[in-house]
Amino acid sequence: MYNKNLVDNLTTGQSKLLSSRRKESYEIYENLTKGDYKRINLFDYQFPEYSPYNKEYLKEKKWQQELMIKKMTDNLNNEEEIINYLDQFKDKKVKKGNQGLDPKYLAMVEAFYNTGLFIKAPQNVELKVPVEIFYELDQENPVLIDNNLIVAEENSNLTIVIDYRMQDQNLKAFHNGLTRVIVKENAVLNIVKVQRFNDQSDNFDSNISLVSNQGELNWIPIELGAKNSVTNNENTLIADGSRASISSVYFADGERKLDLGFKMNHQGRHSSSEIESKGVLKDKAQKVFRGDLYFQKGAGQAKGSEREEVLLLDKTVDSDSIPALFSEEDNVEGEHAVSAGQIDEQRLFYLMSRGMTKAEAKQLMVEASFNPIFDKIPLNDLKGSVINDVKTRIRS
Amino acid sequence: MSEKTEVKDVDRSLHDEKNEEKHRYKAQKGLTPEVIREISREKNEPEWMLEFRLKALKIYQNKEVPTWGADISDLDMDNIITYVRPDADLESDWDQVPEEIKNTFDALGIPEAEKESLAGVGAQYDSEVVYHNLKEELVEQGVIYMDMENAVKEHEEIVREHFMKLITPNDHKFSALHGAVWSGGSFVYVPAGVDVDIPLQSYFRQNAPGSGQFEHTLIILEEGANAHFIEGCSAPKYSVNNLHAGAVELFVNKGAKLRYSTIENWSRNMYNLNTKRALVDEDGVIEWVSGSFGSKVSMLYPMSILKGARARAEFTGVTFAAEGQYLDTGAQVIHAAPNTTSTVNSRSIAKDGGHAYYRGLLKATDNAHGAKASVSCESLMLDNESKSDTLPIMKLQTDDIDIGHEAKVGRISEEAVFYLMSRGISEEEAKAMIVRGFVEPIANELPLEYAVELNNLINLELEGTIG
Repeated sequence: MYNKNLVDNLTTGQSKLLSSRRKESYEIYENLTKGDYKRINLFDYQFPEYSPYNKEYLKEKKWQQELMIKKMTDNLNNEEEIINYLDQFKDKKVKKGNQGLDPKYLAMVEAFYNTGLFIKAPQNVELKVPVEIFYELDQENPVLIDNNLIVAEENSNLTIVIDYRMQDQNLKAFHNGLTRVIVKENAVLNIVKVQRFNDQSDNFDSNISLVSNQGELNWIPIELGAKNSVTNNENTLIADGSRASISSVYFADGERKLDLGFKMNHQGRHSSSEIESKGVLKDKAQKVFRGDLYFQKGAGQAKGSEREEVLLLDKTVDSDSIPALFSEEDNVEGEHAVSAGQIDEQRLFYLMSRGMTKAEAKQLMVEASFNPIFDKIPLNDLKGSVINDVKTRIRS
Repeated sequence: MSEKTEVKDVDRSLHDEKNEEKHRYKAQKGLTPEVIREISREKNEPEWMLEFRLKALKIYQNKEVPTWGADISDLDMDNIITYVRPDADLESDWDQVPEEIKNTFDALGIPEAEKESLAGVGAQYDSEVVYHNLKEELVEQGVIYMDMENAVKEHEEIVREHFMKLITPNDHKFSALHGAVWSGGSFVYVPAGVDVDIPLQSYFRQNAPGSGQFEHTLIILEEGANAHFIEGCSAPKYSVNNLHAGAVELFVNKGAKLRYSTIENWSRNMYNLNTKRALVDEDGVIEWVSGSFGSKVSMLYPMSILKGARARAEFTGVTFAAEGQYLDTGAQVIHAAPNTTSTVNSRSIAKDGGHAYYRGLLKATDNAHGAKASVSCESLMLDNESKSDTLPIMKLQTDDIDIGHEAKVGRISEEAVFYLMSRGISEEEAKAMIVRGFVEPIANELPLEYAVELNNLINLELEGTIG
């Protein structure tokens, strides 16, 4: 299935360097054994049969002229540039904690990706309208393996929205993705990722970034769907004054399982980071939150903070939190805080005394907790539909 | 520019005194069923204990060394003499304790401590208790405080019912080892309703080169009883890596309250792989006060299992990792009943390349409704040669709980130093005050003698700061 033949097929018609990159990754893939996600009881996961993804996933708009946007699967004339960017991720930046999702999942994307975009904001380009990408899975396109590379060159400023979604409620779809990000000097990049697969599908997603001098990267990952969702978001603040933030929202209900990893790896002096996660667990949902703040030696005067809030709506939920703080440098400020519990009864009671039903009151309080992060979604339509999805899930 | 705080090492000479070795019996190096049989025969133990030891040995031989946490590859188990019996019979009269041993204990301040306020002393010299004393009134109240070896024989039934039931040989390699070769330790039994108002103290130390220390502490508090047990360790320095794999089992019954205080100050070649667990019934309270200063490597995570409704656990700990030390410590709390509460407060300091690691677990099972827990970890780094890590794991399996966690890492705040200096305090004194303030919550929880010892330790370090 995921074998040499498939790689040969996929490299037919693809440019030379990217093809050999696929082949190298296949060698790596072949020699690795898959890791397990034991905290959510996901053992020996079997990748489903490969299937191409033929739908258009890029909304055509005028930003096409200002940015460079290419499909990674095409025959590209700028592949040397892409390879140069990708090579920056080659040397391991960290010794500790999680290093992306499992290496086998990463190599799988790099060898067998069926979609993916290279997006580059050239120097000094400031984009007012967000770039919109829609990956929509359906009967004909049940497998998504996307390999994305996003580069914000010096002094650029842009926002990218990636919406992973599906309409079909019965399809069993699969996603394994990789998004690599480079933020150069003084650039600002915001990435909103929304995942709304159905409760039959599995989602695996790795996000890895490098942030340069005074660069700023803001992630807004919103996890609302999938039967199993395993994601990892790892940022290396490589130079002085680099900044990164993650504002995460998740909602898990039914028997769904989430394993979310967030990592900030401080190397540059005066680098700063913030991880904020807000989530709700309902029914028999299970989630693992992993947040690592890592101050490497030399990251003097770096600052990092991590905050997790989880609301537990039923006594059958299972919530694991593993916030870690690793420090090799004394001149840093690092802190983390976790709070977990159920909805404040007094507030609930107050709302109910105002004529709301219990369900309505709970819904209102969940919304109140999520809204500050939802407000960061730059597209009103998307924001509205995300809020609606949360509402539907709370009620059900 | 900011100035760095220089902190010198503690003067350890007091604790590093060692006596010439003198033994009546020394087990052969390496671990075989024959060695275990010899140990058991030598102790004149009941048959079931020998069987237990042999079973544990089997488990030990089949278990892997844990791969997480500290690097213990330097530890050569075959080279550790597991059992060394000191050249002294059990004494209850201080005057008859051999002079040599007395001198060492005198240097550690034991008899004085006893004279002043302690109810009894069970000082472990090498592997067996050499000195035991208990105030008469406690005996009258039915309190039992004796060495573990004799408890196995004299209170066989109760010991058999509890011995290694909380920590079983199956838990990990070192608990299996402990089960096979345990030796020495204290047994405390407090009958229902008895309030032992003076702390029970056992100050033991290692002395023979290459000998492991596997003392077993078993404390049982019956309904409504109240006691405070103090364990302190200090061992002289040797070139062979030493291993400490003790076990502490605490049974706190309904409404009982136990405080268990420890200052571990092992010499810096020691591998301290100790296991401590408390089982707390309805309305019972366990309070841990734990200071980790010595050893080369420590892996120590006292666990409180709150199995009765409204049971409570409190953990207050301070860890000080200096040059060459890797101290991996933390607290584990399992909320397994409704309305249980726990508070964990941990402070750690790392300096001169020391590595302090907080590793904790907080678990609420599905019937722990109404549970409340708070965990707070603070780390102070005194230079950038050192490392400080925090990993508090939380596992929540019910909704009706209130859990809070906070952690912080950083160095001495320049603003605070500046403020104190603006008040006329010298920079050195200001920094010293801040470090003292940092560990104060822990010092406050310690009994006076130990608080003094802790303060002396910190002060000695801080005196080196000046200059």
